[in-house]
This record gives sequence, C-alpha cells and structure tokens, in this order.
Amino acid sequence: MMQQHGPTKFSSRTRANTVASPVATNVRTDLNKQAVIRKPITRRRTGIAYLFLTPFLVLFGIFIVAPALYGIWVSLHTWNPLLPNKPFVGLDNYTQLFTPGSLTFEPFWNSMGVTGLFTLLSVPLLLVIPLFVAILLNQKIKGGTVFRAVFFAPYVLGVAVVGVIWGYLLDPQLGVVNSILRLVGIEADIPWTVNEPWVWVSLVGVTIWWTMGFNTVILLAGLKGISAELYEAAALDGAGWWKQFLNVTIPGLRPVMMFVSTVTILASANMFGQSYLLTRGGPGTSTKSAIMYIADQGLSQNQMGAASAMSYVLFAFLAVISVINFRIQRDKAS
Amino acid sequence: MRKRHLSRGLAILLGLSLAVTLSACGSSSTNDSSNGPTGDYTGPDVTVTFWNGWTGGAAPKIVPQLVEKFNSEHKNITVKNVPMEWGDISAKMPLAVKGGKGPDVAVAHGDDIATYAAQGLIQPTDDIISSLGYSETDFPDGVFAAGNYTGNQYGIPWSVTPLGLYINNDVLKAAGIDPSVVPSDKESYLSALETLKTAGTQGEWVDGYVFTGVFQFKSLLWQFGGEVYNKDVSKSTFNSDAGVEALTHMTDLIAKGYSPADVAPDGNINALVAGKTAYNWNGVWQTTNEALQKTDWSAAPVPQIGTEKAVWSSSTHWIFLNNKNQDKNKTDAAAVFVKWMNDNSEGWAETGELPANNTLRNSPDLLEKYPNLKPFIDELPYARYETSAPGITNAEAELATAVNEAILGKKSPEQALDDAAARADKILEQNKSQYGG
Repeated sequence: MMQQHGPTKFSSRTRANTVASPVATNVRTDLNKQAVIRKPITRRRTGIAYLFLTPFLVLFGIFIVAPALYGIWVSLHTWNPLLPNKPFVGLDNYTQLFTPGSLTFEPFWNSMGVTGLFTLLSVPLLLVIPLFVAILLNQKIKGGTVFRAVFFAPYVLGVAVVGVIWGYLLDPQLGVVNSILRLVGIEADIPWTVNEPWVWVSLVGVTIWWTMGFNTVILLAGLKGISAELYEAAALDGAGWWKQFLNVTIPGLRPVMMFVSTVTILASANMFGQSYLLTRGGPGTSTKSAIMYIADQGLSQNQMGAASAMSYVLFAFLAVISVINFRIQRDKAS
Repeated sequence: MRKRHLSRGLAILLGLSLAVTLSACGSSSTNDSSNGPTGDYTGPDVTVTFWNGWTGGAAPKIVPQLVEKFNSEHKNITVKNVPMEWGDISAKMPLAVKGGKGPDVAVAHGDDIATYAAQGLIQPTDDIISSLGYSETDFPDGVFAAGNYTGNQYGIPWSVTPLGLYINNDVLKAAGIDPSVVPSDKESYLSALETLKTAGTQGEWVDGYVFTGVFQFKSLLWQFGGEVYNKDVSKSTFNSDAGVEALTHMTDLIAKGYSPADVAPDGNINALVAGKTAYNWNGVWQTTNEALQKTDWSAAPVPQIGTEKAVWSSSTHWIFLNNKNQDKNKTDAAAVFVKWMNDNSEGWAETGELPANNTLRNSPDLLEKYPNLKPFIDELPYARYETSAPGITNAEAELATAVNEAILGKKSPEQALDDAAARADKILEQNKSQYGG
C-alpha cells in the first residue's frame, strides 16, 4: 500500500529538487524525506494494522507463544503434573536424550527414526502422485470437477475416522482388502496392520489416500496459474509434451511446490494418528512415531518435563529441515 | 494435513495447559474419616457422583436400574451415575480430582490403585472397610492385596476377571475330538492341537497384544514358577528362565504350525467365533460376547502348561476420591452406596465379570443362572492379580512390547524379554524416585 502511494505523491517534488545528483543519492534522499514527512500517517496506518491483527495476536500469544515458552520452563524440571513436587533438573531432560543407555535415549531416537523413515517414504509420493493427478485434472476432460471433489473428499475426514475405516478394511483376518485378494487367488493373509514390511505400506498408503487431495488442489491451482502463452511459445519452438513439462510446467510450479513440499514434510514428520490407530506402534515399536512417543511420555506416563524436552528437539530438527528446504528451492528459483 | 498439524499442536498444548492448571491447584486436603459410616448415612441430603467405565454389554441397563433402586431406598442420598469409556476415566479423573470436580466414588482397575494413591487422588479406606464390616477373607485370595499401598488399604474389591480357555466344540468334533474331554495339562493340550493340525485346523491362535497375549504370557510365567517383578517391585523378573519358557511356549505354537503368525488384535476370538480355531485363552468378559453365543462353545480353566497352577486375573475396586475440598458427607454416603451395591449385585455376572464378594459369588443362584462362569470361579483359588505399585502400568507397557516382538518374530523370546526388562528396570527406578515407597 505504501509503495503504491509513496512515489506518486512525492515524485514530482523529488525530481525538482535533485536535478543534478546521481541516481543512487537521489533515491536515498527521497526515502529519507518520505520517512520524515510520512511519519504520522505511517504511525496511524501501523496502528490500524495492529488493531486488526490484535484478535489474532492475542490468541496466538495465549495459545502458541505462552505455552511454547512455558514448555521450555517445564522441560527444565521433572514435571509429573499429578505430584506436588516438580524438582528443577536443569538441562537433565535434554542430556538424557543424548546419553546412550538412558531411559529415554533409545526409545526416543527409535521413534525419531520411525518418523524420519515415514517422511522419506511418504513425502516423494505425496508430491509426485498429486502432481500427476493435478496434470490429469488440468486437461479439459468431462466431469473434471467431480474428479477433483472425489480426490479431495478423504481430506475432510479426521484421522480417527480414517484410522477406524482402514483398520476394518486392512484387518488381516476379517478385512475387506484381504478378502478381495483371496477372491483373485492370493491366499496369504497379509498382515497389513500387524507386521513389517506391510505396516509401512499401510501407513504410507493410507496417508496418501487421505491427504493427497490437498496437495492436488494446490498444485492444480498452480498449474492453472501458468500462462498458456508459455506453452504456445514452447510448442512453436518445437518442444514436445515432455519438454514442455520440464521447461514450462516445473519452473512455473516452483513457488507452489515450495509451499506444498514444506507443508507435506512437516505434516509427515508430525505423523501420529495413523500409527496410533492402525498399527498401535507395532510390531514392537517399529512404527511408534516421535509424536506418539512424546504423547505417551507426557500424557500417559506423566513425564511432562521429558516430553517437553523431546518436543523441542523434534522442533529443532523440523526447523533445520524447513530452512534447508527453503534454501534449496530458493537457490533453484534464482 | 493441517489437521494432523493441529492434533500434534493440540496434544502438546493440552499437556502444557493441563500442567498450568495443575500447578495452580496445589495439593489437596486429605480427609479425616475417623467417624466413618456404619452402613447407614444420617447426614444432610447429598448427591454422590459415581463414575464408571461400564459402557458395553449388559452394564448400561443394569447399572442405572441398581442406582435407581438404591436412590429410592435412601431418602437422603442421590447417586448420580456417570458412565464413560475406561480410557476417558483414566485421562480425565486425575485432573478433575485435583481441580475438585472429580467423582465422589468410582470403579478403577487394580493396577491403577497404587498410582492413584501415590498421586493423592484417592482416600485410604481402612476405616470405611472396617465400619462396613469387610475383611480380607470376604474376597478371593490376593484381591484385597491388590488395593494395598504403603500399608494402607485403598478401595474395596468389586469384581474379578480371570482368563479362561474358550472352546469351539464344533471345530473339535470336526477334527474327531470329543469335546467333553477337556485338556488340562501340557501333554493333552498339545496332543489336541496336533490332532487339530492334522485335520487342517490351527487350534490356538496366539496374538502379541495386551488382549490377550500378555495375559496368557503372565499366566504361563506364573505357571512356570516365575514372577513379573521382584518383591519390592524395584526390578523386573519377567525375563527369568520361567519367562523365557513361557514365551517360548507361545512362539512354539506358531513355529509348530498350531497357530498362524501375525494374528491381529482380537483375531483369535474372532477366529473362534468364525469356527476357524478351537481354543482361545481369553477373559471371562467374553462369556457375554454376543457373536460367540451363535456357536457351540464352552469354557474351561486354562490348561496347566508349567509346573504349577496359575492364571492371570484383573480386578476392579471401588475407590473414594480425594477431591480438593472433598465433602466428608459425600464420602460417607458413597460408602453406604458401595456396601449396598456389593450386597445387591446378584445380577452383576450378567456383565461378564465375577463379583469379588465371596458370599455373593458362591451363592448357588449365580451358577444356576450363569453356568458358563463355573470354570472361571473354579480358577480363583490359584488366580494371580496385577502388580500393585505406583506407575506400574508404564513398566507393563515394556512387557507388552516384548511379547509383541517375540510373537511377531522380531526378536527371540529371550532377547525380547531381556531388552524389555532393561527398559522396565529404568522405569521402575524412575517410579521409585518420583513416587517413593
């Protein structure tokens, strides 16, 4: 808003005052003057902006910032919420996490490994499949809107619903999936929710079915935003379908892809409900994700201090991954 | 995806905000119940809030009837029945009690009693017990002890739920086995399984979950002379030779082809109902399983695989909550209600639980009405109950992991048990340092 108004309002005066000066100085004095002259207006505008932001900021402060800060405080204690004594232990909860043989070391890093593996398995598929579907939906086909709705539909379901539905479908002995396989002659009772490697197929498959609609819709919007003229120009230059995809579609989707990949990585790294409901973390603790372990420590075992420390370590990982992801995509873009 | 984001955020936020609420509450007052109830309540009119997890089977019909009957017989006491899922009770009750909004009386599982006591959530019931005229001998051996913590008695036993052997008689007949001859030792049991295998049936499906693989493992552990923990519950002993023998018996059933691998939760009782298997070690609560009634089934005491008789059982207990500013009159009235329930719950067996009260359970009427309960009642003299110690369920989770890993072939029984014992020991140590005792 300011950039739009600023130059038009002051440009004539600026030009008149600085006829002989070099361009760079010109701009700088221009900005200085603007700052001096526009101060009251800016202040009022900022004030109004904050006024509109206040409701959100209050909620954000109370429900995000305050608990997050409080979490740091909690993580410095042995914090059993049901006991009167919550002794201060300094960084003990953190050092435990990095001391092999401690109570939390092995299960925590095991759960981080589970989360990492799930992210590695699910994210590429959650980017490629929705991209493919979005391209199909972007063709002028009959009933495109219906298909878009069909692909998006599972996303509106909560994880509890998804877990219960697929729990029934994938049950090794009673499930519909194995019954269908039996009909086509595959006799083995595949332990979809019980043993490896099938649990991974189930978790990743269910997650794709559930959330691909969201990525598809965002990518579809991205595709629609790419100018048709670019495709025409490419076609005139003799680019085939594949060349067009590589040189027009992919670069055109870059900003959208950055958003989708960041959100997908974070969502996969926060996987909880699927393994909680479908595999119960099993076999053993093979699919017990980081969030599942943290929730178990904090909410069922009442170890809030340790759980808070784990949350912060997980947060640090996700922050680093997000920054790297941003860097990579930005470098490509420039 | 945003939803998963949210749920993660919510879980952590919830935890944190709970922590905030709790730290504000401080410690609650303990009530002095020196003038305990005498089986009759004479104080002012009170409303007693009663939480229970009886949401399935026949209970949702029976409990309101009992409560209504009690209320009509007691002018100055109104009991408010609040049923909710067991899981919800464990999640909500501790915080509600700390905030002074919990129930006055509730029913809890034996393995939660010591934890609740250490957390100051429940009142010692020694005075209530003596004023109501109960003693240890009114209940099966070991049930009373399950409610003991640091020398005080917390809670009054209400029901016991042992494991038993469920049998699909049609499957046995099809394999040429006479259903009237029930295997009671290792030899006869394994030979029946062998006969079934020859007939193309996997006779007992073993699962690696708490329901019921872990219950079966504990039964076998005790049968082989082992213990889950040492006497002062400072060390786990489930990885002893007895434990390895017990778990190996279970994995052998799979190795020998008597059980399929990778059985899903409840897969075995479902297979029994579907006529795919002959035997299932399951709890007395399955006697009310509606799908089961469509088959020709019977129940028997679990076979003695090891060197002595033993079987796992759970127990439930009445507990009196120690709410912040708990009204003593309400606790007294609640005690009257508990006594009345223990005296008037002949119909309780309808819910698939055995009444803990000996007089009630041993009355001939009970078996006349519910003959299927006989084998479970016969087991009680050698039934064993859950370990009582604060925070014990945290360690139990490690044992469940071991059974799961061994049954699913991730680790050998010995390796799985040793690894779990090492983790459980650290948890026991943590429990001691946090809860003392």
